[in-house]
Amino acid sequence: MGLFMILFTLLGGITLSAQSSINGTLSRRTGTIETTFLTFLTGTMFLVIFVLFFGSGDVLALFEAPKWQLSAAFLGTMYLLLTVMAVPKIGVIAANIAGIAGQLIIGVIIDHFGWFNSLIIELDMKRVFALLFMVLSLYFIYKGNVRSNEILSKEDEQSDTGSKAI
Amino acid sequence: MRFIFYALALLAGAALSFEGAIYAELGKSIGQIETSFYNFFMGSIIMGLLWIFFGKGKLSYALEAPKWSLLGGVLGVVYLTSIIVSVPFVGVGITMVAVIIGQLVMSMVIEHFGWLGSRRTKVNKEKVFAVLSMIIALVLIN
Repeated sequence: MGLFMILFTLLGGITLSAQSSINGTLSRRTGTIETTFLTFLTGTMFLVIFVLFFGSGDVLALFEAPKWQLSAAFLGTMYLLLTVMAVPKIGVIAANIAGIAGQLIIGVIIDHFGWFNSLIIELDMKRVFALLFMVLSLYFIYKGNVRSNEILSKEDEQSDTGSKAI
Repeated sequence: MRFIFYALALLAGAALSFEGAIYAELGKSIGQIETSFYNFFMGSIIMGLLWIFFGKGKLSYALEAPKWSLLGGVLGVVYLTSIIVSVPFVGVGITMVAVIIGQLVMSMVIEHFGWLGSRRTKVNKEKVFAVLSMIIALVLIN
């Protein structure tokens, strides 16, 4: 089950990177806020259909859910706004890499303490090494992207600010 | 002064992990697809308000844009739902590592071929090393 979940989540990452490119293209002429708005709007339309036909839960239970669980909706917006603030100062590549680092660090911390009633998975040596390899990988990506960008640098500068909307 | 902006970017990523962990919990009580629906519905309201007050772009361009460039929303649905489903089984850490690997590897492929309107940037040896390190990380963390 665990392995299946990992493959499913890899697929989630794949769709997110496709979203990022697609939204980057759309936002060049539509605008960042407008593109994100459209992303959420069309996502909602698809989900209304999915919920009606495949939903096995209870949407109305939203009104009884604790408010801290509902407040997660603002975290996606926070991600977007913080990224939009950081990109002009440190660049798209650095902002994305720092974002991923934050995601990984908080991810293992939440697991370690079992915050939000999640699974408790201790931060052992194996996990620390895994994180080190992720950091190494981010370093290579940074290097690789800087090198590709040097090749492209003569072309006009286009930022993909806020191309990812969740 | 610059380090503040690195901290903001770190915080942005942290927000995504918090979001995943909290929605996993909400998903257990109201259902996973329902949780995705809630996120996109609320997101539409929040972004709709931001657009009304701060939008400087041209929303109507979406009607002229090629249709494939409007598929971002449904792709985001797959992403969020996969996280909500996966976190209760394997935890936030592995989920985030897997999602990041899928994202980074696919970005390289998309950019290598210049798909979806992206600028074409060839895969170089640094990027190959990056993928190898990520695979080692995934094996170790699992």
